[in-house]
Amino acid sequence: MSAIKKIFGLLWAAMGVGIIPLVIMQAMKEIAAKPSEENYIFWSIVIVVLMPIIAFSLITFGVFALKGEYDVIA
Amino acid sequence: MAQHVTNVSQPEEVSSTRRVIAASSVGTLIEWYDFYIFGTLAKIISEQFFPKDNPTAALLATLATFAAGFVIRPFGALFFGRLGDLIGRKYTFLVTLVIMGGSTFAIGLVPGYKTIGFFAPAIVFILRLLQGLALGGEYGGAATYVAEHSPAGKRGFWTSFIQTTATLGLFLALGVILVVRQSLGVETFTDWGWRIPFILSALLVAVSVFIRMKMSESPLFVKMKKEGKTSANPLAESFKEKDNLKMVLIALLGATAGQGVVWYTGQFYALSFLQNACNIEFVQSNMIISVALLIGTPFFILFGALSDKIGRKYIMMAGMLIAVIAYRPIYTVMYNEADLKLKTEIVEQKKVEVKSAVKGADSLITTITTKAFTDGTSFKETVKKKFPADPALKAALPKDKMKPETKKEVTLSKDLSIKMIGLVLIQVIFVTMVYGPIAAFLVEIFPTRIRYTSMSLPYHIGNGVFGGLVPLISTRLVEATRPGPGLPPADPLAGLWYPILIASVSFVIGSLYISNKTNNLDVE
Repeated sequence: MSAIKKIFGLLWAAMGVGIIPLVIMQAMKEIAAKPSEENYIFWSIVIVVLMPIIAFSLITFGVFALKGEYDVIA
Repeated sequence: MAQHVTNVSQPEEVSSTRRVIAASSVGTLIEWYDFYIFGTLAKIISEQFFPKDNPTAALLATLATFAAGFVIRPFGALFFGRLGDLIGRKYTFLVTLVIMGGSTFAIGLVPGYKTIGFFAPAIVFILRLLQGLALGGEYGGAATYVAEHSPAGKRGFWTSFIQTTATLGLFLALGVILVVRQSLGVETFTDWGWRIPFILSALLVAVSVFIRMKMSESPLFVKMKKEGKTSANPLAESFKEKDNLKMVLIALLGATAGQGVVWYTGQFYALSFLQNACNIEFVQSNMIISVALLIGTPFFILFGALSDKIGRKYIMMAGMLIAVIAYRPIYTVMYNEADLKLKTEIVEQKKVEVKSAVKGADSLITTITTKAFTDGTSFKETVKKKFPADPALKAALPKDKMKPETKKEVTLSKDLSIKMIGLVLIQVIFVTMVYGPIAAFLVEIFPTRIRYTSMSLPYHIGNGVFGGLVPLISTRLVEATRPGPGLPPADPLAGLWYPILIASVSFVIGSLYISNKTNNLDVE
């Protein structure tokens, strides 16, 4: 079980890192295609609020899991 | 996993515990009511305070909608959580109640944009932020306070009463709005009647404050304070110490994020879907949701109590998993039941009525088409065309300025309406599975000295940010499938991918990393 937790830890951390360029590139693409106020507001909320929370929490959680910090919670 | 919470289990204290639960729940219910009436009346408030032709006011409208839910709620959780761990639970959530009630009452009194200009949106914006701040501080306090009074082995059951308050608050908000709107008529309600639900809050809050004033402080907090064991810096202790940060992260990613999206999808998104994708008439769609909420509410208590027996994790994870699997099938049936293309029209009952009127310098032509269908469904389409009465001005007007305003309303038969209630009720039961045991779960993984702070933040990020973004992101996903302006979306259910994704990740993390041994722990 501990090994699975650690392997998944790597996955969470990778997801946290990967989401940053993915969201930024998608935002740039959509804003370039249609530079409307609606688009700016939507992507501002996603980039300023949602993305940092997801990225920070997944990376930190993943690193903890990878280090075996959650092994004791059996 | 951290295991803390001492129990108050003597039989003579049970009646006192009941009073504690009642007083805490009523106050929290009122706070949710206050928070939701703004959201439910967002369209009217926007017309009164945030005119679209003023860009700054329009920006404030957007910020008021989102900031109160996303930024301010977690900030309120930190601010009041810290206060609650420093000075006590009772006084802190008394303050949040007064701030929430005062702000709500004040919104009901603020003169409109037409009367005081830019001050109107600015004042409403500030009051809305105060509402978000107060809500951020309320829930953690109420859940902690009740849990710290709860008898051994009944923490899930007792805290589940707090868990009913968000749904009942929404139910109360919808109910009050419907009653006032039906009593005054749509025009009067839109003009000034919308203020009544806000002003009514003052009375509700006054009663609740009176009850809460008579309550005593949490016994665990009193004991801890006497022993000089309170935290000097709950924020630093909660988020800088690795052992607590680990629990905050697991609570957020493995529980509250999934819970937040399931909660918003089963209640808010369901209502939005009925009104916008299915075009169900306003009163009927609100009735469908209200009845489903009312029938579903006892399940919060059922699953809270069950979590004392079989553990919090299994119930929460089962709720997330079933929701992930069932959402698309449920919404497919909802969409099909209201889809007029799948119904047989009684052609001879079709009626078209055209009215024309002159309002000032404008001409208004209203075309009302009504249709009836063999399964008892009726349909009404109102098309309003407004243009200058002067033919020269009309000819000079660009075509996009003459775009008619169309309103479609589907009224389902009684049988179909009951079926819709059933479909929404299934989703509400998912909500009760993920939400019923969560207060007890959060309370049990953090120690008393930093409990208020530590549990409030993951709760409000999960519920406010992940859950609160469901309407925005889901609408966006549906719009992305629209082949062109004015055309129907290719996949009206595309909005469900966001809650399905978040709940799936939360399910995997929760299943892997959360222990099921949290029930009946000693909380100390």
